[in-house]
Amino acid sequence: MRGDEADAMMLRCKCGVKNYLDPYPFWNFKGRTRCAGCGAVYAVEIAAGAPVKEPTPATSEQGELLLPGFADTPDWKPIVGGGKTRAAPQARADVYGRPKPIVKNSRGRLVAGRPLKPEELVGSRARYIVEGKEPK
Amino acid sequence: MATKRPARKRNARGNDASGRNQANGREWPAVSNPDFERYCRTTFDPAAKFGKPEVLKGVRVLSCTQYILGPSCAAYLGELGAEVIKIEAPRRGEPMRHSTPGNEGFLYPLSRWVPQSGTGLGFFGANFNESFISMDFHRPEARELMYKLAAKSDIMVENFRPGTFDRWGIGYRQLREVNPRLIYVWLGGFGGWGPGRVRASYDILGQAQGGAFSITGQPEEQGGSPSKHTIWLADYWGGMMGATHALAALYWRDNVSGQGTFIEYSQVHGVSRQLEYALPLYGRHGIIRERWGNWDTQLCVHGIIRCGKSSYPSSDNPQEREEGYILISAYADGDFARLCRVIGKAELARVYKSHDVRVKAESQREIYKVLEEWAKDKTKEQVAQLLERAAILHQPVWNAKEVASHPHWRERGAIFWMDDPTYGDVLSQGPAYKMSETPPRVKWAMKPIGADNEAIYARLCGLSAEEIRKLEAEEVI
Amino acid sequence: MAVTTSDDRPKGGMRGRPPWPATPVPTADEVYASVAEQARNYPAFLESIVHPRDAFKKPEALSRIRVLDCTTGMAIGHWASSMLAELGAEVIQVEPPGGDPLRELTPFGRKEYMVKDKARGEPVGLHFLHEMRNKYSITLDLTKKEGREVLKTLANHVDVIIENATPGLWDKWGIGYRQLSKLNPRLVYAWVGQRGQWGPLKDKPGMRDPVAQAACGFVHGTGDPKEFGGRPTRSGMWMADHVGGTTAAMGIVAALVHRERTSGRGQFVEATAAEGVIRILDYNWVWHGMDGSIRPRYGNWDLAINIYAVNPCKDGYMMVGGGHDRLWYRIWKTVGDEVPGAEEEIIADPNLRNVSERLPHTRQVKTYTLLCEWLKDNTRAEAERKLVRQEVASGGVMAVHEVAEYPHFKYRGQVMEFDDQLYGKVLVGSSPNLAEKVPARLKWLGRPAGYDTEDVYRRLLGLTREDFDRLRKQGVI
Repeated sequence: MRGDEADAMMLRCKCGVKNYLDPYPFWNFKGRTRCAGCGAVYAVEIAAGAPVKEPTPATSEQGELLLPGFADTPDWKPIVGGGKTRAAPQARADVYGRPKPIVKNSRGRLVAGRPLKPEELVGSRARYIVEGKEPK
Repeated sequence: MATKRPARKRNARGNDASGRNQANGREWPAVSNPDFERYCRTTFDPAAKFGKPEVLKGVRVLSCTQYILGPSCAAYLGELGAEVIKIEAPRRGEPMRHSTPGNEGFLYPLSRWVPQSGTGLGFFGANFNESFISMDFHRPEARELMYKLAAKSDIMVENFRPGTFDRWGIGYRQLREVNPRLIYVWLGGFGGWGPGRVRASYDILGQAQGGAFSITGQPEEQGGSPSKHTIWLADYWGGMMGATHALAALYWRDNVSGQGTFIEYSQVHGVSRQLEYALPLYGRHGIIRERWGNWDTQLCVHGIIRCGKSSYPSSDNPQEREEGYILISAYADGDFARLCRVIGKAELARVYKSHDVRVKAESQREIYKVLEEWAKDKTKEQVAQLLERAAILHQPVWNAKEVASHPHWRERGAIFWMDDPTYGDVLSQGPAYKMSETPPRVKWAMKPIGADNEAIYARLCGLSAEEIRKLEAEEVI
Repeated sequence: MAVTTSDDRPKGGMRGRPPWPATPVPTADEVYASVAEQARNYPAFLESIVHPRDAFKKPEALSRIRVLDCTTGMAIGHWASSMLAELGAEVIQVEPPGGDPLRELTPFGRKEYMVKDKARGEPVGLHFLHEMRNKYSITLDLTKKEGREVLKTLANHVDVIIENATPGLWDKWGIGYRQLSKLNPRLVYAWVGQRGQWGPLKDKPGMRDPVAQAACGFVHGTGDPKEFGGRPTRSGMWMADHVGGTTAAMGIVAALVHRERTSGRGQFVEATAAEGVIRILDYNWVWHGMDGSIRPRYGNWDLAINIYAVNPCKDGYMMVGGGHDRLWYRIWKTVGDEVPGAEEEIIADPNLRNVSERLPHTRQVKTYTLLCEWLKDNTRAEAERKLVRQEVASGGVMAVHEVAEYPHFKYRGQVMEFDDQLYGKVLVGSSPNLAEKVPARLKWLGRPAGYDTEDVYRRLLGLTREDFDRLRKQGVI
């Protein structure tokens, strides 16, 4: 962030991966974390969000091991899951993060849950809803 | 002259006036009145709503609102039968249409001009029963249209920054000339006057600056931090406060004065109204109320504890796989003694003999530790069953699915499947309260931007079909 | 210097109570000193029509209404009657002899926090006092048949009765809606409670908030996610009672409107704390209905909007908000002035280009981790000052003493020291219901139990000295 100074909350591993140590769990933290890219374990000490000292390769198994909340590569490819970063709070088993097109809801009835084309409209409504007929 | 307060009277069965047996708590003082239950089911039957009249039949409300605070205020009036006309920016609509949890759920179309986009679920719940038109308030033509609408309306709700509508020539000062009977409700963050008047506000800023945030959350000593209320509380509840005041103003207008009025509601002001004993305590003693987690500062036992086992360990939904939590309420001496026997620690009732001893901070820490130790190998349902048998009040902490599928809320119409004319089969909340003669009701969830342009502009503003097309093409509407 | 309400006190304690206000209330001249004439025009107009100092020059919306608040042991009914009382109704609180049990509540059982009235020297807890505003107090024992006869006579004199007794109890006693509406067909009768007076989960005696908070899904959804080491969290206050009480007031005023407009009759209103909150649980139900989603806890971040969160900062916790693009870039511009690397990383990341793509959890982790690189070196005041230059809504989480001293709130009377004839000077949160013609107002804070017994019974029922002696001896009043 500021030249060569270590950033407290974003741990840039020597392998290049940026590990995000999210504010709530890591604000006052003394322990270890693991790079999501290469698996290197660092000893980390953060107080009030600021580094007490630079993260260094961990020499022992002392202290809680807390994974980063998220990590991405130098060219912004996300690294998630697989025990590399902490799980996201999920509302469903299958996680999306982008609009999930559906025409039937959780009890199997028609719902206007997917993008429409102009020819599918009757006024401001989807024809398949107006007619109650599942679209092909 | 100080007189001694007479002791609270109890009748022969040891019940005090609240109907609750305080003496030994062994008796379960519920009342058996099945005839009354039948009467209630009939009187408040959600299926019978549409056969009954509406309080605000013939009342018209303009909703020039965004986000949640303003829109919800108008929506509560719509539930009572008012004709509510929501006015949004052409094409784009209002910002809340673009907000949805996790970027996942949208209902389509956003409008007939942009059918490939949808309205986010954040918009749902704040705009029930409304007609939707679009209008660009900046344009000179908009002023004339607003005057026509205001002349025929009873209530105007807006939550733009203070002075914005005044600058555009459609604020209270201008509209009251057009219609002196207009009730003009402005809702916003900090109000339109005073040192903070220029501050923009969102719901959680209202929570944070009003004080509710600082008294909610797990205590510092347990590694917690101040916590927001899940819901857009300052906004949605603020809308209720505004709507209640608007209804009172309507009552006054129609039965006393014949006059409209301006109403100002500041959302952060609402939050600080809710702080219970916090302000008096600070004012008198300099003590600052702090967060106390899931326990209660004034009652013990009256707290939420963790039950160590998940109720649905093999569910594929991570929310269901979490361990359970339950509220236990046993603050009267007899109830507390029974609770101690249930958890196999009868001696605790002697250690914490009176409520004054139990409710101290250090006592609470000990008691809840013992309770969580007892519950650590049980599901919340198992704990509930053990407590039910001992007639101890409790309430499991239910997730959205457990609430949505519970027959109690369904039978009462608090949550129901709605056949929405635009969007299809959607699960929705019902109105917050019930009335026997004129029940509030939800007719439809919402509509796309500008869905009712032709109907409303023709009926209320006298525009011809061609004029409407022209204004739409120019994005005036 | 914060002093907590737990048992940890600083060494040395506090000498005397700190004066309020610690800093003087700003004057109008100070507030608008450097404001240009044109910019001053609208706030000056607003102050001229809604400033609370003029409230007593103006009529009251509900001055024709008389209310009996017969609720005990629960906040929801008192909250509802407060709203009506602040809007001008004559509200008489009917308490059991000895007083409403809520009077005895005080944080951690500390009697020194209670206040004594000047007439009888009876202590009352600050929680109860804060919600007794504008109300009279009479005592009546409804467990006695004679008490119920008195209530029946009183019912002929009032417009509204609110009760929260065990479901079916008043009906069994012959003073339920069915019976009283025959005596007074214009009566609006409201039952309030936690979960309902009918249905599989109807209220059990003694239930109080947070039963409703846990039952409706609010607790499950509030607090830090399990992934952050958190647990479901209740509100620090009896929030569901406040919401439910507001919906009860809304229903009651709606019933009064309908009575005058159309029917000439009262009706039965039912409002519960749980359903009040279910109504405003954002998008929980529609989301669940669409694809089975169970809303997860998300701490102080928001599932539906980024940036819209509270995060730790140098001297506490800081709210920053800005959902759409323009504000997103302005926030990062502010951050970039001090932490250029953070702004660069955000701007360069192609995954953060669109508003909706910023919503998933991974993107929010990155957003707030980098935002905290800046927040850790900025106090709440510094962060707000820098962000307001970019018109970004932000503000710190304020503790109670900061709320009490905030100049904007003092200027508007949002926090005020009320000089009560019976209870002396008490710091309170005032009503947010400001209006040009029918504002809310605070007349007095509270009464000892039964303070107005003789006055009210004499003027409403014509009771004589003999009647009082007899009824007192029988323990009826």
